[in-house]
Amino acid sequence: MTNPARRLPPNESAVTEPAALPDATPVTLNEDVLIDDARRLEMTWRDGGGLWGWLTTVDHKVIARRYIITAFLMFIAGGLEAGMMRMQLARPENTFLGPDRYNQIFTTHGTTMMFLFAVPIMTAMGLYFVPLMVGARSIAFPRLNAFGYYTYLMGVIFLYVSLFLNMAPDAGWTAYVPLSGPEYSPGHRVDVWAQLVTFTEIAALAAAVNIIVTTFKMRAPGMSLNRIPLFVWAQLVVAFMIIFAMPAVAIASTLQLASDRAIATHWFNPAEGGDALLWQHIFWFFGHPEVYIIFLPGLGFITPIVETFCRRRVFGYTAIVLSNITTGFFAFGLWVHHMFATPIPELGQSLFTAASMMIAIPTGVQIFCWLVTMFSGRPRLTTAMVLILGFFITFVNGGLTGVMLASVGFDKQVHDTFFVVAHLHYVLLGGAVTPLFAAFYFWFPKVTGRLMNETLGKWQAWLFIIGVNLTFFPMHILGLNGMPRRIYTYLSQTGWGPLNALVSAGAVIIVVSVTLFIVNAAMSWRSGLLAGANPWDSYGLEWATPSPAPSYNFLNTPVVLGRHPLWDTGSPLPVVTGLRTDRREVLVTTTFDAQPDHRHKHPTASIWPLIMALVMAELWIGSIFTPWAVLGGVGLTLLCMLGWGWQSTAETDVERVATEGRIVEAA
Amino acid sequence: MTTPSPTRQESLGSVRDLPTVTFGHRSLMWWGTLGFMTIEGWSLALIAAMYFYIRQNFLTWPPITIPLPSVTIPTINLVLMVASVVPAWLADRAARRLDVGAVKLWLLISTLMSLPIPILRWYELWSLNVRWDTNAYGSAAWLLVGSHATLLILDVADTVGLTLFYWFKRMPIKAMSDTSDNSFYWYFMVAIWLPVYLIVYVGPYVF
Repeated sequence: MTNPARRLPPNESAVTEPAALPDATPVTLNEDVLIDDARRLEMTWRDGGGLWGWLTTVDHKVIARRYIITAFLMFIAGGLEAGMMRMQLARPENTFLGPDRYNQIFTTHGTTMMFLFAVPIMTAMGLYFVPLMVGARSIAFPRLNAFGYYTYLMGVIFLYVSLFLNMAPDAGWTAYVPLSGPEYSPGHRVDVWAQLVTFTEIAALAAAVNIIVTTFKMRAPGMSLNRIPLFVWAQLVVAFMIIFAMPAVAIASTLQLASDRAIATHWFNPAEGGDALLWQHIFWFFGHPEVYIIFLPGLGFITPIVETFCRRRVFGYTAIVLSNITTGFFAFGLWVHHMFATPIPELGQSLFTAASMMIAIPTGVQIFCWLVTMFSGRPRLTTAMVLILGFFITFVNGGLTGVMLASVGFDKQVHDTFFVVAHLHYVLLGGAVTPLFAAFYFWFPKVTGRLMNETLGKWQAWLFIIGVNLTFFPMHILGLNGMPRRIYTYLSQTGWGPLNALVSAGAVIIVVSVTLFIVNAAMSWRSGLLAGANPWDSYGLEWATPSPAPSYNFLNTPVVLGRHPLWDTGSPLPVVTGLRTDRREVLVTTTFDAQPDHRHKHPTASIWPLIMALVMAELWIGSIFTPWAVLGGVGLTLLCMLGWGWQSTAETDVERVATEGRIVEAA
Repeated sequence: MTTPSPTRQESLGSVRDLPTVTFGHRSLMWWGTLGFMTIEGWSLALIAAMYFYIRQNFLTWPPITIPLPSVTIPTINLVLMVASVVPAWLADRAARRLDVGAVKLWLLISTLMSLPIPILRWYELWSLNVRWDTNAYGSAAWLLVGSHATLLILDVADTVGLTLFYWFKRMPIKAMSDTSDNSFYWYFMVAIWLPVYLIVYVGPYVF
């Protein structure tokens, strides 16, 4: 492909004030000046030192790294719980876990994996890489970002403290009423679940707004909508889905379930006109899109990895973008297929069956696009690529059982059996966790500056693929043989023993694989091969800056001339200059065409996000024990808003204000 | 396909002369505000949907033993809310003119007009003539009005805080853009109240 003309996108919109951005001829920048700029930028953007600096940082990379590590620890915790369940179920009439403990463990496993691992780690990957991939100095709202992380962290601590206090939720991660209602679940276990969900939803919503605004307003000049990297497209669609899905569960858990339990509202109490099915509707209106919220980012990881290791530009960019968007829409029209065993009108059943089958189409389109890309190229089987192949096998399997479950007759037969457990794990481990591991191998050098060990990596990849299939494939058969989910033991006469033993053996392989990954990551972080800026010779803007990326991300804002910036432009890197180095400034561009619009003063470090998250924790955790905690919490929140606002309006710089068609300099 | 070294760069232009403070849809904060409006508006829409879902479980609405809601205080508050849009709009205009004096004046009038609203909201809740724990109708009506009240309190607090800052400390010029966004949020707060008012206070008289 010939290089496109190296110039800024023409300024067609009349929004920008006249003559603000003259059409300059390209100038090669002096390297000494650049090094000098780098030093000044580092002074301006770096965090303060010590514990205070650690607590007040708003660097999106630092926050996202903590997010990823915390969420990965949750993956390990959830995995250990799964291991305990497999130990219990390995043979009939086992006594390793009693029924009460087993209920807490499977509920905590599901809650951890869905709310504390899967969604947070996927949004955290976006919070780390979206600004780098769109060529921005930072994220749109860094303090909101830090607040989101700390809120999530409070949720993590809350659930695990509860587990050790024998107060962990035990009504399943779906917390169906009436089981989870005040009558059948006295005590505080379900309250823990209800409030924990709110912590993670607030965190996810904060991340979603950040990702949307960063993608819409902070892209590098020239990165018009039709040039946004597919990773970022996936994150953008997911962010929109979060905005429409998460409020449903936050309302259902905190405002309805918790208030039914604490202040005797009657949302789910049929005796007073409430409705138990209402819970299932709201929960799955969130819960089904949640699945796509988890694996669409996984699909987003795949394109750049496939392109890089096949040395091919992806086939069907537009088709993949449209598939993402279509999936996002369809995801909200399927929730009732979780409720086929309830009295749903027949017309509703048909509609939701059709919708559930239809959603396989856009995902299928994406898979065919990648297959064509791989066939037309010459794949290099790195660890990341091996995992992508594993994704194809595992995920397609999970997708197919999904289509089976869309049929009402079949669904009623296997409802609440291990068949469903097998299906959902195939989709989530195949569609989200396998690409996530691939993404770890691929972007690890960008985060740490060092490559992961490929030999260990390949062992891990193959063990993971084999382990997942060995663990979850036999579950289909167990389900068809009638083994219900969420039972703590079974009799030997059922004949489920041998397959359960096999499943537990598979789980051991997954444990070995994940252990290898942890060892590999720890060793490579210390002493892996140095990576340099672009170890895979990939094309995204994140590879145009040193590894790990400096605090200010980019020395100058890159200019994008095609969908594959580094492959399109070659060397030297085209940039725009002029952002100040003596204060934190980011470049804001127009929403559609990404033309430079204005410079925005970026917030500095702050303690308020942490304090605000602590206040929120007081409010939600306290409300379990007394409704008065809400009153105190609201008061403290108002004080925090004052403090936060005071800090935000402390500095009075001279600004160039664009208003009513003119520019005024004022302070 | 060579990777450019981070220090081999070619400048295609400079953004030095671009503005640093903008208003409306050009500014990041406007987009953030829009994001939270979407979340909050959608949440209220979901709660309204649940209100109608619960409606199906009753023969009459309100249920037979419950009196109709009183409309006097809700209507007074509605008029006050709609009227308070005027000073908010004037504060927005003043901010865009960078007229500090007018911003201070209209913010103060906004504050004075908006402070009674959350207080009236308390009586508005009791105008429902049902408690949240009486039956599911009560729970639904209280949640719909109450969740709007929560947002209302936060927004009024935001306006009060901004007014206090403008009167008692030196504000940076970029706060003009924040003032404009604060008004933008207030329009939304009033706009989403209209359907809630119709559903909860007028609806029971109609269906």
